[in-house]
Amino acid sequence: MAKLTNLNAFDIISLSSGFDLSGLFVENDEKKEVQFTSTHTFSSITSKLGDIAQNLKLKVKKQGGLMKMEGTSGGRKGALAIDAEIFEFTPSFHLVELRKSSGDTLEFQKTLKQDVRPALKDIVWAWQGQPHQQS
Amino acid sequence: MRAIRNCFCLKKRKPGFEEPSILAAETHFTVNEVEALHDLFKKLSSSVIDDGLIHKEEFQLALFNNSNKKNLFLDRLFDLFDIKRNGVIEFGEFVRSLNVFHPRAPEADKIAYLFRLYDLQQTGFIARDELKEMVLALLSESDLSLSNDAVESIVDKTMMEADLKGDGKIDEEEWKEFVTNNPSILKNMTLPYLKELTISFPSFILNTDVKDLE
Repeated sequence: MAKLTNLNAFDIISLSSGFDLSGLFVENDEKKEVQFTSTHTFSSITSKLGDIAQNLKLKVKKQGGLMKMEGTSGGRKGALAIDAEIFEFTPSFHLVELRKSSGDTLEFQKTLKQDVRPALKDIVWAWQGQPHQQS
Repeated sequence: MRAIRNCFCLKKRKPGFEEPSILAAETHFTVNEVEALHDLFKKLSSSVIDDGLIHKEEFQLALFNNSNKKNLFLDRLFDLFDIKRNGVIEFGEFVRSLNVFHPRAPEADKIAYLFRLYDLQQTGFIARDELKEMVLALLSESDLSLSNDAVESIVDKTMMEADLKGDGKIDEEEWKEFVTNNPSILKNMTLPYLKELTISFPSFILNTDVKDLE
């Protein structure tokens, strides 16, 4: 899977919570996309995401820097599908974006909370909008 | 005898208040959306000091859940929202500033606004030092540390691409070119939620007499 490396200093800066006004309008748990930073390698991250997709019985399709994970069972608004996109700032500093690409937002958030976040714990440095937790 | 029009007339005017119809005419928001923004503004502006104005602490509370948290980017954003530069954000300033973040606002406006945000010393240029300062601020905010070499390399790479004239700083012309080639930079300048205000703040809609024409 090819990763996207054309991120620049301004992309890094735009990660700041001090610049993210969406929090004025929507709670974190209503968003259709979440981001996290990781200090792990690209292959470590893709491997973890692959495991999660397998556990959730999601079919994985890779398109360039994008990992598409698609469910088959119908939910409230059709099958849940999640896109994972990995951006490299340095070989040991990545940004991962998880976006709902189809299905119900509530279901997406529930799946994130119950299944995805716990499974990613080892590789997540910090979730967007939340400070890094000292472990 | 004064005719009773709508509840805005009966309230004592807070400083910086502007009529929703005027703000709607001059922005991408409808009157109902401006009124919904007023609901939000009232909530934010009364959270620490209840005076109908958004103070820095209230802005910090809204974005970080911590009224004392200092942040370089929030400071810049606050200064830009504070159009009159009197240390507080008034309702009119709030709506006019959010207007730039509207999905229908012209991209050229967003590009220019972002340039002013990043021009920390307001010199009309984004200097290499300012860029490095901002990268370091972000890393510190996220509790991340990269080696100085890694930071220098990230800043160098960006400057090489953006600073076409090679003078160690990015001017507005170079900035426009750079953003055109790297549109991801503009991401924070559009808030899709601004198109759904009347869904997020429906309580006002039940009380208004004004029907949107669109």
